[in-house]
Amino acid sequence: MESQLVSISSTLLYAAFIIYLVALLPLAASIKSKSNKPGRVSIVMIVAAFIMQLGYFILRWIAQGHAPVSNMYEFITMFAIMLIAGFLITYHYFKTQVFGLFAIPVSLLLVAYGSMFSREVEPLIPALQSNWLAIHVITVTLAYGILSMSAVAGLIYLLKAIPATEKSWRARFLEAIMAGIVIVITFIAATVLMESIIGYQDDFMYTDKQGQTQVAEYHLPSLVNFEGAVPVENVGENNYEEADHFHSGINLPPLIDSQKLNTVLWSVFTGLIVYGIIRLIIRKRLSALIKPITDRADLNLMDEIGYRSVIIGFPIFALGGIFFAAIWAQIAWSRFWGWDPKETWAFITFMFYTIFLHLRLNRGYEGEKSAWLAVIGFLLILFNLIAINLLVAGLHSYA
Amino acid sequence: MMELKEIKCESCGHVNQPGTQLCQSCGKMINSDYDRKKIKDLMRYDGSAVRSKVRSKSIFDKIWIFFTSIKIGVMIILAIAVAAAIGTIFPQEYFIPLGVDPADYYQENYGTLGYLYYSLGFHNLYSSWWFVLLNGMLALSIIAASIDRGVPLFKSLKNQRAKKHESFYRRQRLFMHEKDNGNADEVISQLKDKRYKARRDGDNYLLEKGKLSRWGPYINHTGLIILLIGSMLRFFPGMYVDEIVYLNEGETKDLPTTDGQYYVKNDGFILDTHGESSGEVFEESLNQGNNIVSNFQTDISVYENESSDVVGAEPELTKIDDYSIRVNHPYRFGSYELYQSSYDDSQMKAMTFSLEDADGNTVGENFTVNLDDPDQSYQIDENTEIKMRAYAPDFQEIDDNGTLVSETPVPRNPAFVFEVNAGGDSELSLLQIMNSTDITQNNDYSIRFVEAEQHTASVLTLKKDHTIPLVAGGFVIFLAGVFIGSYINHRRIWISLEDGFTLAGHTNKNYFGMKKELDTILEANSFSPVSERQEIEDKAKDKES
Repeated sequence: MESQLVSISSTLLYAAFIIYLVALLPLAASIKSKSNKPGRVSIVMIVAAFIMQLGYFILRWIAQGHAPVSNMYEFITMFAIMLIAGFLITYHYFKTQVFGLFAIPVSLLLVAYGSMFSREVEPLIPALQSNWLAIHVITVTLAYGILSMSAVAGLIYLLKAIPATEKSWRARFLEAIMAGIVIVITFIAATVLMESIIGYQDDFMYTDKQGQTQVAEYHLPSLVNFEGAVPVENVGENNYEEADHFHSGINLPPLIDSQKLNTVLWSVFTGLIVYGIIRLIIRKRLSALIKPITDRADLNLMDEIGYRSVIIGFPIFALGGIFFAAIWAQIAWSRFWGWDPKETWAFITFMFYTIFLHLRLNRGYEGEKSAWLAVIGFLLILFNLIAINLLVAGLHSYA
Repeated sequence: MMELKEIKCESCGHVNQPGTQLCQSCGKMINSDYDRKKIKDLMRYDGSAVRSKVRSKSIFDKIWIFFTSIKIGVMIILAIAVAAAIGTIFPQEYFIPLGVDPADYYQENYGTLGYLYYSLGFHNLYSSWWFVLLNGMLALSIIAASIDRGVPLFKSLKNQRAKKHESFYRRQRLFMHEKDNGNADEVISQLKDKRYKARRDGDNYLLEKGKLSRWGPYINHTGLIILLIGSMLRFFPGMYVDEIVYLNEGETKDLPTTDGQYYVKNDGFILDTHGESSGEVFEESLNQGNNIVSNFQTDISVYENESSDVVGAEPELTKIDDYSIRVNHPYRFGSYELYQSSYDDSQMKAMTFSLEDADGNTVGENFTVNLDDPDQSYQIDENTEIKMRAYAPDFQEIDDNGTLVSETPVPRNPAFVFEVNAGGDSELSLLQIMNSTDITQNNDYSIRFVEAEQHTASVLTLKKDHTIPLVAGGFVIFLAGVFIGSYINHRRIWISLEDGFTLAGHTNKNYFGMKKELDTILEANSFSPVSERQEIEDKAKDKES
């Protein structure tokens, strides 16, 4: 019974993914079209897909008996859903379809990325067995979804305001963001392809910092590896035999997580190659290619939305990300604040948006400067959401 | 900087504080000598005199200007954020294993950079004097800036007049003028329906709502100050207790810092893992062989010591409560809380041995040595006695006298010297984990290790934190202020019917929403919509001129 609910719930999420993908077409058409028909079609599709995602959320909750926000897969998916919620809220007030062209692809990338983690329903460890899990994570992701809209507004502002052929730092930074997006897409595409579709796997046995023997599963050919790594093959259970795998021969001390570095290197290399090929084909900056989408955007309105998203999102973040978090930390870990890396980066995000709000009081921080800050804010959110859990060991490492 | 004398408004005759920019009565610009480049919106403090912008002579003025500056405030916040980020590069000292030398730990695990990190004191960054100092400066900045702007703003918004100078109308971002009065009364009445409070002065109207929004920043700043004071109180004695209570199963201990008033007994520690009872839905993930813990629990009995106030008296324990402490379910009593923190099953409780003779036959019964309080002799059958001649719970070495030296009193690596008396010569042998050595020559008997029993100790955290009411209260006030400031808009509409229909609108944010609200009403009464002066275009114009 419950297992069926889980599979229905996963199917809903998958179907929603496809619908968003298809909805991008009428949405893109609506940007240029004089008729408002394609825009309306796309919004109907997006709302339908959003409801299906809520269905995923509710069914999975019922099936596993706790809110589906307890591991990386569920958490990233939640954030992706909240991005759409943020878009729909913004659309409700400002009728900005162009936001969808940015928010939806980012949301889809997140769903794809999240699905690379274990998707199984898992029972909760004692620390997570609390109603605060649902309350804390749902408010935080809602705040992230709304705050992200300020970054979307900022990006649209920058694309429109900065001449694409300009030889300036701001134009180069904007193009660097575009290249960064290409790298992220390439990374997700490459890992999904190699790990899930081709099933590429090279095992290496090495000795970690603590002097324990570990096996690293490389899903991308090894460019860098651990000091003293030996290519091995699993021959059932926990037994390994020496094998012959591709390896560049570069080994790094155990201080560095070579496996993650290997993924980063592949992503950057292939991402830059893909970016280079795109540049060769289109013969102009990527920002110049996307710029026309923002032709009809109103700079003042983008600035207003960017600012208002922060005004609306910031209190919710303070409530969910700091206050609820502190209450739960007191109950579960006996201290409301302990400078755990995730807590610290929530604090940094909080301080960052505080800076954003205070700078707006000064003349000259509206418009472009705010837009840059909003984009940086989104990078901070992504960093805290994903990187901290993976890079730094702490109380929040679920994956 | 401006001259320090009162300014009399040419238009209405109102006498204004030195440094006032817009006449506090009629709103006419009476002092154009303000810093156009820095002040985005003269209306933010309603054109009133802000101390830090007026006085700059004395040292106090200069300090005041420093701490009231938004730029300085932002720099302090940025410095705190950057410092906080640095603190996450490597783990803080409280995250590294207990008992290791931090200098070695950072060097070994993170190389030269790690050693540098340690040398700079970044391993204890959040309690370093400079991090605390930065927070103190932030508190000063918050207090100064709030008083500097809040007081004049409060005065200004309290004494508003409905009648405003014509130039005040044109200064507002939302403005419209028509020659014909038309349905002006209808507009005003419909605005009142939108919860605007109206004030009238002849043919001049002031319609206002959501003024509370303007106090939001001052409320949230007050909350932050309370929070910062609360977090400093932790350093005062008696405010904060954070102790580890290490309880073996069955053990009763007095709780530290309660002066022997409270005792807690560990009635049993339970560690459960998820299994079939957790639900068939988890079958797949549980079948992969990973054990997922479902519960850490310590059943406790709580006792109060009736004679705790009598010095030197034997404790008289009265049981006052039973509780099962689990993660997320601490036990609360008085101002204390007991939390399930971890458990320890690394310590040995007892070891069981058997005696074999030269032919390998077991002699008598097995005997068990209680490692915490060992017996001195064990009679394993009628003729055979085993005496314990020496014991080291945590064996380090045999010293020159031949006695066993223990590194710690904790039974981690026990070693024994046993003497076997079976009628003949007594035989001595040294037993350690995985090793036994004959001390006397040509021993007939040998002692064999059979099994060991582990203690399961529960590690509880005892907490008392009197700062929580202040810290939490401060943060609740902060949140209330942030929500008030963010979710309520202070909207004011001035309407004059003296020369046709003139309307101006001001809001502290969301002009988009206010324009929509105004235009709906205006157009319903056949007025033209308001025109909006755009801030960003405006800035460009400012640069040109």
